[in-house]
Amino acid sequence: MKTTCTLSRLGFLVALAWGLAPAAHGAVFVQCPGDSNQDAVIDNPALHPNAKCMHLSGGDGFVTMADGYLQYIFGFSDLTGVLPEQAMSEGMLAANFPAPTIALKQGQQFYLSLTNAGMAIRPDLFDPHTVHFHGFPQAAPVFDGMPEGSIGINMGATITYYYNLIEPGTFMYHCHMEATEHMQMGMLGSLYVDPIQNRTGIGGSLAAPDLSTVAAKEGGAGPYGYVYNDGDGSTAFDVEIPIQLGSFDPAFHDASYTVQPLPFAEMKDKYPMMNGRGYPDTVNSASLPPPIDPETGESANGGKVSQPVSSRVTATAGQKILLRLSNLSVTNFYTVTALGLPMKVVGTGAHILRGPDGTDTYYDTSSVTLGGGEAADVIVDTGGAAPGTYFLYTTNLNYLSNNTEDYGGMMTEIVIN
Amino acid sequence: MTKTLLRLGHALVAALALGAGGASAVVDGITGPVFNLTARADYITAGDGASLLAWGYAPDDAHPGHFQDVMQYPGPTMIVNEGDEVIVNLKNALPMPVSMVFPGQSGVTTSCDSATGGTPGALTCEAPPDGTTTVTYTFTASHPGTYLYHSGTRPDLQVEMGLVGAIVVRPAGFDEGTNRTAYGDAGSAYDHEYLFLLTEMDFQVHEQVAINLMAGLPPETGVNTADFTSEYWFINGRAAPDTMMAAGAGTPWMPTQPYNAMPRMFPGERLLMRVIGGGRDLHPFHHHGNNSWTIARDGRLLESVPGSGNPDLAVSDFTVKVVPGNTYDAIFEWTGKGLGWDIYGTVALNPHTCTADTSGFDVVTREWCADHDKPLPVVLPNQQDLAFGGFWSGSPYLGAAGALPPGQGGLNANAGYFHMWHSHAEKEITNNDIFPGGMMTMVIIEPRVEGVTIP
Ligand SMILES: [Cu+2]
Repeated sequence: MKTTCTLSRLGFLVALAWGLAPAAHGAVFVQCPGDSNQDAVIDNPALHPNAKCMHLSGGDGFVTMADGYLQYIFGFSDLTGVLPEQAMSEGMLAANFPAPTIALKQGQQFYLSLTNAGMAIRPDLFDPHTVHFHGFPQAAPVFDGMPEGSIGINMGATITYYYNLIEPGTFMYHCHMEATEHMQMGMLGSLYVDPIQNRTGIGGSLAAPDLSTVAAKEGGAGPYGYVYNDGDGSTAFDVEIPIQLGSFDPAFHDASYTVQPLPFAEMKDKYPMMNGRGYPDTVNSASLPPPIDPETGESANGGKVSQPVSSRVTATAGQKILLRLSNLSVTNFYTVTALGLPMKVVGTGAHILRGPDGTDTYYDTSSVTLGGGEAADVIVDTGGAAPGTYFLYTTNLNYLSNNTEDYGGMMTEIVIN
Repeated sequence: MTKTLLRLGHALVAALALGAGGASAVVDGITGPVFNLTARADYITAGDGASLLAWGYAPDDAHPGHFQDVMQYPGPTMIVNEGDEVIVNLKNALPMPVSMVFPGQSGVTTSCDSATGGTPGALTCEAPPDGTTTVTYTFTASHPGTYLYHSGTRPDLQVEMGLVGAIVVRPAGFDEGTNRTAYGDAGSAYDHEYLFLLTEMDFQVHEQVAINLMAGLPPETGVNTADFTSEYWFINGRAAPDTMMAAGAGTPWMPTQPYNAMPRMFPGERLLMRVIGGGRDLHPFHHHGNNSWTIARDGRLLESVPGSGNPDLAVSDFTVKVVPGNTYDAIFEWTGKGLGWDIYGTVALNPHTCTADTSGFDVVTREWCADHDKPLPVVLPNQQDLAFGGFWSGSPYLGAAGALPPGQGGLNANAGYFHMWHSHAEKEITNNDIFPGGMMTMVIIEPRVEGVTIP
């Protein structure tokens, strides 16, 4: 009785804090249940066990291509944990590529706040931004981020998207505002949702989990995780990595940087990447150092790390590696292969590869082809593979390059110990 | 963006008001089984207003929603019934030989076989450029499904010029009023069907052909189709925003492009997408709103037991990988199930009830009753902080129009939910350097309210 009373009183306070008090015009305004200081961190997670909050900024910044070229980008950065009064300054020139990976769980209510931090390098631009949760099931326009049918957020203000997560799988997200431009410029990231089976185990429920098969990710005795609610463990894996394929056209980025007309029709991508880097940067397990402006020798973005995501995969022989593959190139289809290692596709389009009546359609392959906006869940079984270094790379061989530099591009290593 | 889409206003409203003349429950096309066509030259309009010389198949006869003797891009969608003996009579008013091939159809015979018209070509029987010779193609439409046809003469050049079209074969037992299925069984049943024939064009080829003809040269002179780089991308022969305008007589200024791509549905309905890779490039066709089930490819149901009618090998995805020459039939459904808030607003905002059937949906509106009366969990930003899309009703709720600043929104007459369906190679949602446009349209999920009907 006492608990109930406290909870409902808290609920009322929360409503006061973020339900009934609309922000003043042009203010950072983060909506997250049980978050009294609007830093997108829930004060007492035990009171909101199924809520998840995140705060992104949308703006511009810089990254370094694998041949050393400084590239101007638009992008997102993670402001979770930042107080609203610091959000604009933290979000300025902070664009990451790829955008911060969003890792979610089925059953969560996800509150995603997006603050438009403006374009520090292009003060002439007043572009709004959005987040499009690509593939979100049964979507309503208000939270779909497709600006022609809904709304975008203007500079200096915040929109909070709400997603009730009922489907697991590998999705992706991107800004959909002036989509061709903002996506070529880099507002792209990985997003995936763990299945409830991670927490229930096979055949269990949240109330009565099957402890022997609850995922190790969730503290259980089972495999590290499952990709889907397969009911039989057939999507179990030991190691997981989201790998987002993408590519930049430096001429387009440079035109944006120098305030020139944007070459849409001439768009030709020259920097193929995995998770925002070309080989060999893909196998650097650390963050890339902050981008340097070659003209001044100083940091181009105030010393911010903008490429923290490595694509190097390490596993022990016998383990199953889950590759959460997606492609957000705005120009090309890409085929990737894991030379010498078997690939099993267990899901596409954030859906287990099973027919409407559950018929299994998993398939074994040595290559996967993805166009922009496509995703696949690929399990690489390293049982029987000799220890060593294997390569995951595009078989569109001209894209094994970093612009004019040969031998690079869309490739990474899978190291089996 | 808003300005571009605002230009659409009147034509779009016309599309929605016209019903049969605009978005239709069945794909626009001409019914056979005998089709009389002439390959002709004319101009088409790209999404940026540019005019391109194009070649297309023109219907020789009068058909509702079509322009007699006017070449069209794509060619007329030929709608036939399973088992029909299909007869296509083709004449040629172009400056070079032309023909038709029918991928996916077997046993095609031609008038060359019987030496009753035409000249044997590399792929099939060709009609000489005399405007009078009739070439006849005959085949039995033995399998229901979605197919394409295109020129079999210099297809690298002639398909680029526009000589491509769709074929829909209705299954035995099909009835537009009472039994809408793609393949004859419940697994392919649908409420509405729409065609998405995806193509692209390189305007330099069209300019070169036009220059050649003016100079009295053969049309293909100096055309290098291996250098193909497209600047325009089309759905059913139109580039956005024209995809969203009325069809046929509703847009008399586009007689050579009579088909639109304006899918509409109510919550809980099944929408059949007939998707065709009609050009040279692959296109990732992303449909916002929900996953679809691809139930058939190239006119064959994805079933483990042939003839069962059960598409148990169907694939769920949010993007259809459209490969040149392939066709796909996909079922798209949308209900808003599980959003965690009431898509019609709370009862206080919008008095309404939810009476669940055994599946948990309201018996009439198909509202997901488990979310009934749940408020939107967040507060939306102030109007000054928002950029508004032309298709935004001003409200997050289905069927509810909200207040919008002057000049914003305005293209969403019924306060439906608009979701973009487009090539996710976003370079292709432009019209020759101008964004937005190209291979893009919107589906409208309409509220189930009085006065809103979908044929
Ligand atoms: Cu943006």
